[in-house]
Amino acid sequence: MSEVDLCDWCEEVLQPYLDRDLSATDAATVRGHLAACNWCEKRYKFEGDLRRLVKTSVTEPMEPALKAKLANLRLEL
Amino acid sequence: MSETSSNEARRLAEGARNRVRFEEDALALADQVYRVARGVSRSKEEAEDLMQETYARAFRSWQSFTPGTNLRAWLLRILTNLNIDRGRRAQRTPDSQPLEEGDYFLYNRIEAATGETEEERVLDRLSQDHVAEALAEVPHDFRDVVVLVDIGDFSYAEAAQILDIPIGTVMSRLHRGRRILKKEMADLAVEAR
Repeated sequence: MSEVDLCDWCEEVLQPYLDRDLSATDAATVRGHLAACNWCEKRYKFEGDLRRLVKTSVTEPMEPALKAKLANLRLEL
Repeated sequence: MSETSSNEARRLAEGARNRVRFEEDALALADQVYRVARGVSRSKEEAEDLMQETYARAFRSWQSFTPGTNLRAWLLRILTNLNIDRGRRAQRTPDSQPLEEGDYFLYNRIEAATGETEEERVLDRLSQDHVAEALAEVPHDFRDVVVLVDIGDFSYAEAAQILDIPIGTVMSRLHRGRRILKKEMADLAVEAR
């Protein structure tokens, strides 16, 4: 594969690579390319940072009033 | 007291204890369930309504829960089903699929629009508000999977169980959903300048 084709291929396998769903051989090819290609390396790092941002995007806790409402929905004994 | 009626009393007391335990366990999971509710809802108010509907239904149908199985997944299955009912009502053009771009699209677009070349600086153009706003634009089929896996930390298998879809569908919706999310975020991040 040419370097440009490798960049395209790395974009294609970005998600399975970060999800650890890629075969060991393919993952090694990705790592080899990232060590040589700053352009892809930045984009991979960005994806990891973006995932952390998404994970923490819902941070606002539940209102205590809602918690009380939920408890009140219990059936009477 | 006859033997039959004392057995009956014991059975009733046992049932009441099981129910109270179920209710307490369900309420103890409310914060975790809320994270998913908030992720799949467009607003806090919608998330609160969804929580109340979910818990009302859970408390009514507690006997259909099998003790010892995953209560968090059971609650979220109720929640996502209720949300799908709403989503279908609200969705105007169910056939139109949103356009998705490749996985580098968001980075490329911010880099091109801002001239930033450092990864940290590109990332700085994004905020948690962008994520929340962009998530609301992702169609619910995709959004549910992204929220369960990427925000709720559920495995593919758990997400498949909750949404009652095959694991392969979870994976394809997750991959497409993340790309749709990034495309929506690109629009917000570049517009916001």
